[in-house]
Amino acid sequence: MYRYDEFDHQLVAERVEQFRGQVERRVSGELSEDAFKPLRLMNGVYLQLHAYMLRVAIPYGTLSSRQLRKLAHIAREYDRGYGHFTTRQNIQYNWPALARIPDLLAELAEVEMHAIQTSGNCIRNVTSDQYAGAIADEIEDPRIISEIIRQWSTFHPEFSYLPRKFKIAVTGHAHDRAAIKLHDIGIVIVRNEAGEIGYEVHVGGGQGRTPFIAKKLAEFVPKDKLLAYLEAVMRVYNMLGRRDNSYKARIKILVHETGEEEMRKLVEAEFAQIDASKMLEVPQAEIDRITRYFEPPAFETLPAESAAFNKAQADDAGFAQWCRTNVVAHRQLGYSIVNISLKPIGGVPGDATDVQMEAIAELAEAYSFDELRVTHEQNLVLPHIRLDDLKAVYDRLVTHELATPNLGLISDAIACPGLDYCNLANARSIPLAQEISNRFADLDRQYDIGELKIKISGCINACGHHHVGHIGILGVDKKGTEFYQISLGGSADEHASLGDITGRAFTEDTIVDAIETLVETYVGLRHADERFIETYRRVGLTPFKERLYAE
Amino acid sequence: MPNSKKLIIDGAESSNIWHFVDDETPLAEAPAIISLARLQDEGAELVAAGKKLGVILRAGEKQGEDVHALKPFLDNLAVVAIEFPVYRNGRGYSTARILREQMGFRGEIRAVGEVLFDQWQFMHRCGINAFEVDADVSLEAFNEAMDELSAAYQPAADPQRGILWRRHN
Ligand code: HEM
Ligand code: SF4
Repeated sequence: MYRYDEFDHQLVAERVEQFRGQVERRVSGELSEDAFKPLRLMNGVYLQLHAYMLRVAIPYGTLSSRQLRKLAHIAREYDRGYGHFTTRQNIQYNWPALARIPDLLAELAEVEMHAIQTSGNCIRNVTSDQYAGAIADEIEDPRIISEIIRQWSTFHPEFSYLPRKFKIAVTGHAHDRAAIKLHDIGIVIVRNEAGEIGYEVHVGGGQGRTPFIAKKLAEFVPKDKLLAYLEAVMRVYNMLGRRDNSYKARIKILVHETGEEEMRKLVEAEFAQIDASKMLEVPQAEIDRITRYFEPPAFETLPAESAAFNKAQADDAGFAQWCRTNVVAHRQLGYSIVNISLKPIGGVPGDATDVQMEAIAELAEAYSFDELRVTHEQNLVLPHIRLDDLKAVYDRLVTHELATPNLGLISDAIACPGLDYCNLANARSIPLAQEISNRFADLDRQYDIGELKIKISGCINACGHHHVGHIGILGVDKKGTEFYQISLGGSADEHASLGDITGRAFTEDTIVDAIETLVETYVGLRHADERFIETYRRVGLTPFKERLYAE
Repeated sequence: MPNSKKLIIDGAESSNIWHFVDDETPLAEAPAIISLARLQDEGAELVAAGKKLGVILRAGEKQGEDVHALKPFLDNLAVVAIEFPVYRNGRGYSTARILREQMGFRGEIRAVGEVLFDQWQFMHRCGINAFEVDADVSLEAFNEAMDELSAAYQPAADPQRGILWRRHN
């Protein structure tokens, strides 16, 4: 994975010192909370319901074991012994003391991490496919261009005070695991007819109160022109994006109000200007340097089958089940990709304790070439595990309650922080995710239901991605009591779609029953092997609605 | 307002000979910064009278004024002031870059409005060379802020080369 050179180290260290000065000025009272706010936001520090919250960037979701150990250490020393992995492939700490945050950041800098641009109206941490470099049929490892984008966008002098925050996601695979069509810019690495690698660029996707699927503005941007193209999009947005109403300030609104065709023209005109200067063409030697960091690790040549693995599966039904749900085929024979569920039955989605993080770091070091990933569905991944080692890995995960075999199933829900932490919330999200998980605790029932993505947001800001849940749940406020609205048929992959609202919202007491009704309706309607989303797309909203609101 | 602000040009404190003149006030001899509307109305006349001009691009309620409208006047403009109504309105950064890099403007680009400590360095990188800051800002603090980040990853309107380029000479 990418390692800092002296420039990277120096800039992060300077930023920590800069923030230390700002915190000192705040603590001494020289800076008001108002003046301090944009500065802390630039450094990932939010003010939440009960305390400051710190969001740490995990660029494109890739971590080393050393880094994860540091995150565990920080959970223990600066927080209450846990961290929360988010849908942005980041980690959040809910309880750090402001005065200690500069020290915390200095510790992060030791392991090449930071909280820069994890909040504020700037280009945020770039996200990507959690299986990058491990999955078969990838056109190119998306982390290479993600890293180049990370550097280009870091402390960008022109784009640090945009109309609104800006999120870029990249996938190098036809199956999109990075929800690229729901980002301000989504990039798909493609190959053209001449066999050259380039980028398809989608612009103007987003969730929040007005969700949009991104429009494909460019079919093929050649490799050396991507930064120029991105800078063109950013400049058009910075010049024309709305600043009079923060709800209309995202680029999705600009694209919608301007129209796709006109937007494309504006971007291309700006691109022509920037491209002519050649100043954003990254030297090949630099691309090569960065590429080398993402070269495949030293895989052994192994047979496709492992006798030890087959025997372990035959001997241990629990292990076999976990392999079916949480283990994915690897590009390299004899290896596999392991998903670690952070969704234990009845647990808090995305939370991990310091001890769990250390255990996972140890596994990554011993078995996965020192590498780990964070997924936008709030789970972790060990990307390169030998089939021969799967059982040993599984046993360790079981010890730490990290082996829940529920990836992609109904209990693998995404939930935003909701009313337990967030001052914008209408309703609780985490307790609802826990209740649903408990209601469907029976794993056999979950397997029978099959893939079903539940996504829960505590308010219309949609941090929990409810618009793109197969079943989406949105907390709404009715005269001070918590209500939940349901939508169906959303999806965040290459066939991205926004869910349809079923109708009247449900109370805290009836929402879990309503989910169960929907699940039963699906089970009754499905054709053999049809997933929930496929059945929904075939039959539409009506049969679900009828059952849901039947007297 | 005039007394609560000071002007720093190219890293040195400067007495401000350019003053804002509103659209109703007749132009005297002193160098004046006028509105875009006035420039468009009276610009040709003023140029014919041999005047060097300054203009301010306002941020506007909904949409800031368009820098491209300055094109016909560029050769006769000495100062372009860009209004930053609040620190978080960063449209002026793009305005400045377009003016410097695409329109080739060599005169003074002045940031006015809410122009705070943590913005100066980025503004400077975008081609802004004059800063109207609060009067209590010391030159020392200003220059310190200008050096807070010792390098940059990406190219902009200043001569600094991006790290992505510098690594390979
Ligand atoms: C608790 C403090 C939080 C607050 C106050 C907050 C606030 C917001 C707001 C205001 C929006 C709407 C932005 C817009 O539409 O322009 C938003 C969107 C979003 N937030 Fe949060 N958020 C919080 C926590 C989180 C967490 C923990 C995550 C990750 C798990 C997250 C991920 C997202 C995502 C993915 C979106 C929507 C996608 C998009 O950008 O369109 N947020 N958030
Ligand atoms: S969706 Fe709403 S309640 Fe949930 S974290 Fe975002 S802002 Fe808070």
